[in-house]
Amino acid sequence: MRVNAGNLKKGEFVTFQGEICQVMKADFYSPGKGSALMKARLKNLITAKNVEYAYKSNEQVEVLDVTSVDMQYIYKDQENLYFMDERTFNQSSLPISVVGEVSRFFKEGEKMFVYMYDDKPLTIRPPMSVRLKIIEADDAAKGDTVSGAKKPVTVETGATVMVPIFVKVGETISINPETGEYTGRV
Amino acid sequence: MEIKTTVKNLQNYKIYLQVEKAVQEFMEKNNYLKIDIPVLSPALIPESYLEIFETEFNYFDKKQKLYLTPSPEIFLKRLLVAGIGNCYYLGRTYRNSEPNSDWHSPEFTILEFYKLGISYLEMADGVLALLRFINNKVKNHKLKFDRWEKYSVAEAFEKFAGIKQTELFNEKLFFEKAKEKRYLNVEMPNLGVCTYEDLFSQILATEIEPKLGVSGYPTLLYDYPKQMASLAKLNEDEITAQRCEFYINGLEIGGFCTELNDYKEQEKRFILEAKKRKKNKMINHSIDKGFIEALKYGLPFCTGAGIGFERLVMVMANVTSIDKLKLINIS
Repeated sequence: MRVNAGNLKKGEFVTFQGEICQVMKADFYSPGKGSALMKARLKNLITAKNVEYAYKSNEQVEVLDVTSVDMQYIYKDQENLYFMDERTFNQSSLPISVVGEVSRFFKEGEKMFVYMYDDKPLTIRPPMSVRLKIIEADDAAKGDTVSGAKKPVTVETGATVMVPIFVKVGETISINPETGEYTGRV
Repeated sequence: MEIKTTVKNLQNYKIYLQVEKAVQEFMEKNNYLKIDIPVLSPALIPESYLEIFETEFNYFDKKQKLYLTPSPEIFLKRLLVAGIGNCYYLGRTYRNSEPNSDWHSPEFTILEFYKLGISYLEMADGVLALLRFINNKVKNHKLKFDRWEKYSVAEAFEKFAGIKQTELFNEKLFFEKAKEKRYLNVEMPNLGVCTYEDLFSQILATEIEPKLGVSGYPTLLYDYPKQMASLAKLNEDEITAQRCEFYINGLEIGGFCTELNDYKEQEKRFILEAKKRKKNKMINHSIDKGFIEALKYGLPFCTGAGIGFERLVMVMANVTSIDKLKLINIS
């Protein structure tokens, strides 16, 4: 689908200089002289590198028509994350560098949406929220609970999250995987 | 669009108020007269790169088109001609077709001020003094305003984008260079796809701006190619204009220029801008003939500066988007 660059949205996929990229950020910017621009941060899904590019807001950009497939996250190794399509049992892998920091919050066996284009996996659609159990925390930590003092805890995937002092080991918390922020107790 | 109330922004909003107060104090100390301007104007000056909001006054069968002012310039320059002296406006302006983003809002606050008898580079000292004054009031220890990091536009294009001066000032070579750098839809301007101004802004935004104002000091870019002159006076070389823009943390905060006071040249630029508006099917507003008459009478030698007030507060408050400064957002 062709759109004006001025309508590009975060999360969409485009081809930039011959390579498939995901739009990580797209912000309108008008320098006041010359046409208005759309300042985009594009993540190259092969190299995992971000590139900044200012499109003319009125130039046409091809947004790729991707599908998202419901898959189970099975495991990871040093470099890749592995997923399985539960209907076909086909396995797909994605580099950790491409999926990014959100993968710190993936629990084996969880369902996830994987974006596909031309039958190839591109990246995952991060869940809005994940629920994870705290396996390590300093429950004796003291602080001023009124002003919102925080402490670091380790969740079952091994990731570290900052939580309010009153949250304890064994409790399950919800986290926004994109920001890594604690959003509440479950 | 909808109305959102965000009380958690209170701390940032208080910094907004502090900066506002500091600006007013600085301006008063330096003998700038505060000017209030009408929000609704029956006529404007033609500008091809900004769209306006149009409304209508009705009284029985009497109707008149009115426009929300996109810039205080139209009023302040009339007053300068009338001999008001150094003056400033700090308040809202309105620009259509500019959606909300981290750095934009269709209604925003502008600080515009004019100082008589000085050129753009002399104004640079005054702007730095203003930034320092504000910073001392809000006590932001991350920013330093003891000096500028200065580059001419030609130096910045060479240093950050590898574009030589000979390429920057020659449209044909400039387009070739952009093509070599794999910019999209780069065609010569006569094909109507991309203008020199478009490409200049694209390269500036992509390759240069992220490197400006990030060394601990604000960066001043000066001497823009004449195609980017706007209403600035040209230098003696006749290929650059006496225009500056300044950056903090990669973000353009404001700019200033020695005001063009050659009436004939100004009229020529207005006609060109009006033509471009018509070609781009933009709102066909009445042209302020009184403004042109005033300029005929003679704008005094002066430098005018414009600062995006919310952007300035953003850097003072260490936040990365305008909406974090406001208690009420429309987005």
